[in-house]
Amino acid sequence: MIHTDLLFYALSTIAIVSGWRVFRTDSMVRASFLLMSSFIAVGLIMLLLAAPYIGIATVFMMAVEMMVMALFMVMFMMNPAGLNPMQMVHQHRLSIIAGIVAFAALALAILFSDLPQDPVAPGKPGVADLGFELLGNSMLIFETAGVTLLATMVGTVVLSSRSGRFGGADEGSRPPGLEPGGEPAGRKPEEKAGGDMHQCHGPGRQHSEKQQDGDEQ
Amino acid sequence: MTLAAILLVAAALIGIGLYGALSQQSFVMLMMGLELILNGVLLASIGFWSLALAGAPKGQLLAIIVMAVMAVEMAIGFALVTAVYRKRQADTTESLKTMRD
Amino acid sequence: MSMLACVILLLLLIFGTLFAAILDTAIPAWIAGQSGANPLTTPFRRCAQFLAVQRLTTERPDMLNWLLAPAAYLILAGIGLGVVPLSEGLVFIDLQTGLVLWGACEALTVVVVFLHGWSANAPFPLIGAYRYVAIGLPAMLVSMFVVIGVALPAQSLSVSAAVEAQRGLWNIVKQPLGLPLFMLLGLSLTLRGPFDYADPFDLAAGTSAEDSGPLRASWRFARLAMLVSFSTMAATLFLGGHHGPGLPGPLWLALKAAGVMTILVALGHVIARTTPSRMLTLLWVLFLPLSFLDLIIAGVESLP
Repeated sequence: MIHTDLLFYALSTIAIVSGWRVFRTDSMVRASFLLMSSFIAVGLIMLLLAAPYIGIATVFMMAVEMMVMALFMVMFMMNPAGLNPMQMVHQHRLSIIAGIVAFAALALAILFSDLPQDPVAPGKPGVADLGFELLGNSMLIFETAGVTLLATMVGTVVLSSRSGRFGGADEGSRPPGLEPGGEPAGRKPEEKAGGDMHQCHGPGRQHSEKQQDGDEQ
Repeated sequence: MTLAAILLVAAALIGIGLYGALSQQSFVMLMMGLELILNGVLLASIGFWSLALAGAPKGQLLAIIVMAVMAVEMAIGFALVTAVYRKRQADTTESLKTMRD
Repeated sequence: MSMLACVILLLLLIFGTLFAAILDTAIPAWIAGQSGANPLTTPFRRCAQFLAVQRLTTERPDMLNWLLAPAAYLILAGIGLGVVPLSEGLVFIDLQTGLVLWGACEALTVVVVFLHGWSANAPFPLIGAYRYVAIGLPAMLVSMFVVIGVALPAQSLSVSAAVEAQRGLWNIVKQPLGLPLFMLLGLSLTLRGPFDYADPFDLAAGTSAEDSGPLRASWRFARLAMLVSFSTMAATLFLGGHHGPGLPGPLWLALKAAGVMTILVALGHVIARTTPSRMLTLLWVLFLPLSFLDLIIAGVESLP
């Protein structure tokens, strides 16, 4: 049992430290993958707790989610690679106090309450039990979760499709205006493209005419 | 690996997640804080299931529901962030001063 | 977890990687009808060349992730190989949910390839990484349904049970759509052929564009190790694993994996690569419904 305990302490240290580093690191892509490593540590702790399916499914789900999160970081954050030191926080002291108060309150509740003691039997087939439960007694919950996920997919597509309800997809690709709703700063893309096309055709035509003259001579 | 130790780790994750959710200006970092809170909740529920409920199957079901909540929250959260950016070109919480605009 | 399993796995990994490197040289020459370089010595010569070349680096790369990516790729290949049962009751990682662990390795491979392209801080690697993420995630979805189809007759999520369920008839006969779809994932995991959006020739070697010297050698070695791991898994899930008359279990597994490896390398050099948008359409509109069909076939067959 001693190596299980050591493994648990190591994994929980990894989970907590990488969770803390998420908000202290400059590089945003590293932040999302630090969160992924926190989740992987929690998933491995769940393996130790004899929940193999939930543990590895957590690792699986979080790998894909954090991959998508990294892409969104690059889309929406000013400093995705952490090349400049940056810390965008507001109400910093209040939030530190709130975090510590939450942890202290929960810790007091944990340490002073009478926790039940009923460990899972080691030989129990956890995954088969979960399967029978999901498709037997709790099928309504399971199917509702499935329909909820379908509704989520529909809602996500509605909110962010190309001809979106709250603004077309091409509106976001313009740089933001100097005041909200104003003209985008920088060059206007439409006339420049037309100008380039005309310039390209001009020398090309002259070049082909020169070629024909050269061939004739 | 007592139940108290596991719940303390979960409480620490919830505390750090709350700090992140309250302090970050950017939408995406705020969502990372919410993910950490749900991480703590997931660990706590599996801890209770394994050490206090003798492996009753409904405990694992609660964990699966928490994972579904995480997925739904991320999907809708990112879609909302995209929609808000397209409408008001705002990617930090400071830029959204009023609800009506 | 036993020493014998560990030793056999290490031997499989080392000799499998060598075999894959030899195939990588021999098969293109055979397809083109030319007798190119000597395939038995080219892998060693190329490795020595890589190790002797000067190490170049870009401006402000993410050095930690750049060094971590090939190592993590190799570890994922090792874990994927470790879940495979080598013989009756001889598994290195004996887990009740081995198939889900394999799925987690696939998902983490996408993360690792993205990190490899991201950390070089250069445009071509980043483009390669982004294209690979857009294609690799749906490819992984296709493979997950196929793997669930394999788990259905086994009535368990462990790889040993999946092999046990093939004692009478291999899965390639019971679920004919399964292995071709799984091969698509193999091409995607090992960055080959039509799914090679991460390291392609038209992106100046994509995520490996700024790699030099030992870093490049280690990334290529990790790709070959993942090829070995995937081939062994495909042989386990669809070709009956270690079942076979006469020879001992691990030897049959190695032979079947070698066959799958040959087919994969050949497919990688024969099938052309379309644009990312077309491949995305193909994945979501053609291959994902085919994987659903495979799952339905597997489910109907498993009904009592």
